[in-house]
Amino acid sequence: MSDTIDLLEAIGKNASLRHASGQELADSLERADASEALKAAAMTGDSSLLCAELGHKPMIVNHDVHAGWKEDENEEDLDPGKTDPDPSPEPDKG
Amino acid sequence: MTMGSHLTPLARSHIEQADVVFAALSDHIVEMWLQRMHPDVRSLQPYYAEGKSRMKTYREWVDLMMAEVRIGKRVCAVFYGHPGIFAWSPHKAIEVARSEGFDAHMEPGISAEDCLYADLGIDPGRLGCQHFEASQLLFYERRIDTAGYLVLWQVALVGDRSLARFETGPAYRQVLVDLLSRDYPLDHEVIIYRGATLPIEKPRIRRITLRDLPGTTLTAEQTIVLPPAAPLKPNLAMRARLEELDKAVAVA
Repeated sequence: MSDTIDLLEAIGKNASLRHASGQELADSLERADASEALKAAAMTGDSSLLCAELGHKPMIVNHDVHAGWKEDENEEDLDPGKTDPDPSPEPDKG
Repeated sequence: MTMGSHLTPLARSHIEQADVVFAALSDHIVEMWLQRMHPDVRSLQPYYAEGKSRMKTYREWVDLMMAEVRIGKRVCAVFYGHPGIFAWSPHKAIEVARSEGFDAHMEPGISAEDCLYADLGIDPGRLGCQHFEASQLLFYERRIDTAGYLVLWQVALVGDRSLARFETGPAYRQVLVDLLSRDYPLDHEVIIYRGATLPIEKPRIRRITLRDLPGTTLTAEQTIVLPPAAPLKPNLAMRARLEELDKAVAVA
């Protein structure tokens, strides 16, 4: 059986596969000896089906401070009941 | 950022040539992929905790990176999308490293914003496009231009002042809707967008009305877009000035 991570990378890099239909992708993966989980996920576009093979690890995606936070503020001051947004925002981060 | 599609050759080279790689990614399969590129990938995920200020987490991340830099390691930190967009610690780590005399720089990546333009067919140059972190609209007096697109980020945790929560809820989104309804009708279209992370996925695009936003479940990865609600209004005074200028230039 082919390696699922390698196959996912290969799909992402391939102009024919990246935007192929679920059926076309599943057919290609069948020929590539992909796992049942990857074939099912590709057919439906449901990546959660890969959990059976690759496990599930919830990921937190927040990497920023929000607009009300100030550089010189302590974490202890960030209690929801205590923090008042400063009227002068720090510059946007991007 | 889509796995396999959007990692630039240069970014990959930085990963492969580093002594240690830190990772703040949005999907554990992408993290597994990254582990194929380098034998020492250290996930930053374990430093989060419910009820813990994310600021404390981000500072810990900078300390971790700088500890390796200070002992002479070549350090690469990998953040999903663009590392400089809606991310505090990459900017901070570079600032600290440079202040201590180390070389540090950021490689741009393909962000959710880039994917959004492609997937929704929006050209920000045509009518203009404002971007706000959603809470900023509530915390500060900002001016919304309804003749252009409005893109709001992190609506799932709009109004959170604690930095310790990962989502707020319908009552908070209602406050946002109340604010937006000063400029937009309640039946105005709201596009909920999430780009594809894995290459077997399609972008997720849902269209609702503004009034339905509070009752709609959102995740941190989703971004909302409000299309223009008003036509561009000619600036007659500026046009007249430019006409005068053109005449003066033609005479000279």
